[in-house]
Amino acid sequence: MKVIACYSMKGGVGKTATAVNLAYWAAKSGLKTLLIDLDPQGASSFYFRIKPSSKKWAKRFFNAYENLVKHIKASDFENLDIIPAHLSFRNFDTLLAGFKKRKNRLKRVLKGFNKEYDLVILDCPPSISYLSESIFIASNLVLVPVIPTPLSERTFEQLMAFFEENDYPQNKIVPFFSMVQGQKSLHKATMEAMSARYKMFLNTTIPYSSDIEKMGVHKAPVDVFAKSQQANYAYIKLWKEVSETERKCG
Amino acid sequence: MNSLPENTWELNEVARNTDILSEISSEFDIEANPGTTSNLQFYDDFDSHLWKANYLLCQVNKQQFQLIDPSGCMGEVGASSGARFWWEFSGNQVKDKLQSLVGLRAVLPIASINLLETDFSLRNDDQKIVVRGRLTQTMVGNKIGLYLTLQALRGYTKYYTRAAQLLRPFIKAEINHFGLRFLLMGQNIQALEPKQSTLLSLTEDMRTEQAVRAMATAMFDQTKLYVGGVIADTDTEFLHQFRVNVRKLRSLISLLKQALPTSMLDTLKPRLSSIACKTNKLRDLDVFILAQDSYRAMLPANFESGLNELYRLIEKQRKQEKDKLARYLSSTEYKNDVTACAAELSQSSAFQTPMASKPVLQAVKKLLLKRYHKMLAMGAAINSQSADEKIHELRIEFKKLRYLIEFFVDLLPKKRTGKIVSEIKKIQTVLGDYNDYCIQIEFLNSYIDDTRIEMSKALSGLIAILYQKKTEERPKVEVALTDFFTENMAIEFDLVFGAAEPGDSK
Ligand SMILES: Nc1ncnc2c1ncn2[C@@H]1O[C@H](COP(=O)(O)OP(=O)(O)OP(=O)(O)O)[C@@H](O)[C@H]1O
Ligand SMILES: [Mg+2]
Repeated sequence: MKVIACYSMKGGVGKTATAVNLAYWAAKSGLKTLLIDLDPQGASSFYFRIKPSSKKWAKRFFNAYENLVKHIKASDFENLDIIPAHLSFRNFDTLLAGFKKRKNRLKRVLKGFNKEYDLVILDCPPSISYLSESIFIASNLVLVPVIPTPLSERTFEQLMAFFEENDYPQNKIVPFFSMVQGQKSLHKATMEAMSARYKMFLNTTIPYSSDIEKMGVHKAPVDVFAKSQQANYAYIKLWKEVSETERKCG
Repeated sequence: MNSLPENTWELNEVARNTDILSEISSEFDIEANPGTTSNLQFYDDFDSHLWKANYLLCQVNKQQFQLIDPSGCMGEVGASSGARFWWEFSGNQVKDKLQSLVGLRAVLPIASINLLETDFSLRNDDQKIVVRGRLTQTMVGNKIGLYLTLQALRGYTKYYTRAAQLLRPFIKAEINHFGLRFLLMGQNIQALEPKQSTLLSLTEDMRTEQAVRAMATAMFDQTKLYVGGVIADTDTEFLHQFRVNVRKLRSLISLLKQALPTSMLDTLKPRLSSIACKTNKLRDLDVFILAQDSYRAMLPANFESGLNELYRLIEKQRKQEKDKLARYLSSTEYKNDVTACAAELSQSSAFQTPMASKPVLQAVKKLLLKRYHKMLAMGAAINSQSADEKIHELRIEFKKLRYLIEFFVDLLPKKRTGKIVSEIKKIQTVLGDYNDYCIQIEFLNSYIDDTRIEMSKALSGLIAILYQKKTEERPKVEVALTDFFTENMAIEFDLVFGAAEPGDSK
């Protein structure tokens, strides 16, 4: 079982859009996939029409995987299950602070899913915290959407630095450009500079697209309502490249 | 993770798809896919090997077959229409499986089902799919069956329960293991009926002649089962099984001849011998053709044309021989022989000999001991110089000994007899292998023909190799004999088959 996190310290960069569409394609390619919505806002659950669970259960989230199992919901798609979010997930950080060996906590709990799932995708909230550190430890890949602007470049530098300072393997970090507007020269220039500096950027970029915005209206992955649109092809390509990268990293 | 509820029910005949769906639509949004129809043709061999091993082979279209394993997993196999043997299918894994399941048997159509399947899903108020379902309509002849399957989704089982509740008025019965196998079971398929003619169970103090008559009748009936397949030349196993059963019958009669009236022996023995004799040649040819791959592998490539010529000749002879046997099995000569044998077997017991009215177990045990002692002497006489003929005779004796035990195995002590039988099997393998080389050499020798130089070269090559193998095999015969005729075995025979037990020595 592999774990892929969709992560960025910055909000609104396309983490959830990525998590939703990748989970969809992973499942479609035959992998038993579990998408865990760690963001208290519950956006990825929303895209799958799954209501956040009514019980407050953040407290039990890190105890044992049996607790998580109870909250699994089937999506409308074969091979894809989801653990929806809950507002109480806001307290993850305070919760984690109370645990000994807190940073390994998430990894330990996820291990329980080894038999049932081939792939776990984590849709992460934007922050840098105990939770994000648990996520870095638990994940095989940390997929980072980067909007090609100077501000995002700064944020990305910070993430790299954070990994370095804390001795997390930087090769887990797999960035790609998100919400790309090809006609903007600023985007073009930033992309050129960043991919020259950081070789690990994926070749695939996700364009800025109204079809992706419309996921909220359709409450579904792009493939369901915009099959033959460019945005959909971009996600197919992204999934292919991510799964290849994941295989290379072992 | 615990598994999710899934269930299938048979629905009332009057239920219609539209009624059912409209009933659920009172609480759910239904999304039904267009139905898919399929006509499935199922195949199995004469012995229902696939069915018995919980497999199904079904033809989904002209060139496409599926092998469905006990867990319901499917493997696709391609085959040209008219494929009957495992080697005529493509797709290695499935092919291997098929080979291990049916061996040399041909698979033939046994049943077919027409299916109309309509998948649907139920959505809740959030437009989330919460239950999946399938309506299955089956048509067999003009009989229609209607089944509903509901499948719960993780996290949404309460909706499943509710949907099942809504549909209750349409339900006739719950079905435990729904699937193709279930649907076939409802069809009472002729081809899957057990072929073994039922033997009445023997009891140890049944009188010997009665017991032998009953067994002989069952064996005789069994031979008739295979005649159709031999005539139609469905596969080589029909002839093989036919011969095995005739051989067993002949052994039974000859082993227990002291318990049978002379009239019976006079009727059966010559007739069965003549029937068996008529099948020898075809079986030899079959065996040679079936071993084709291993023969071809024995010789270098420059013998190929000679081998091709040989196999062309053999195939031609086989065809002639097969037609000849088919004619014979349809002839009045054969029918009259069969009628005469059947009439003789159905006579009531005559009890003309002393053994005829003895309790069967007592008679059999005595025979077993006697045969064992005779074989012990024969075995002791064999050394490295002995003629093949002597080994052949001993091989036949072992075969008879094994038959005698197996015919009456239900009456004999299970565990110890089992051990003896497994020792007998071991030595039979050695003797059998040795004999096979002798027979093959003889068979190939008979094809040497000075006017067919290439072919004769190939034959000589094969003979030389087989002779080599035979020579290597020869010392194993003595080893096997020493291993079998031990002091322990002598004691074991005395203990297991001796009359020492109280009650046996009446
Ligand atoms: N490639 C894109 N083109 C256009 N709009 C996009 C694209 N990707 C995401 N969006 C839209 O931008 C908004 C933010 O996207 P998303 O929720 O995926 O980001 P996020 O990083 O998960 O945000 P948050 O940090 O709030 O969780 C959403 O309304 C989404 O529909
Ligand atoms: Mg998000």
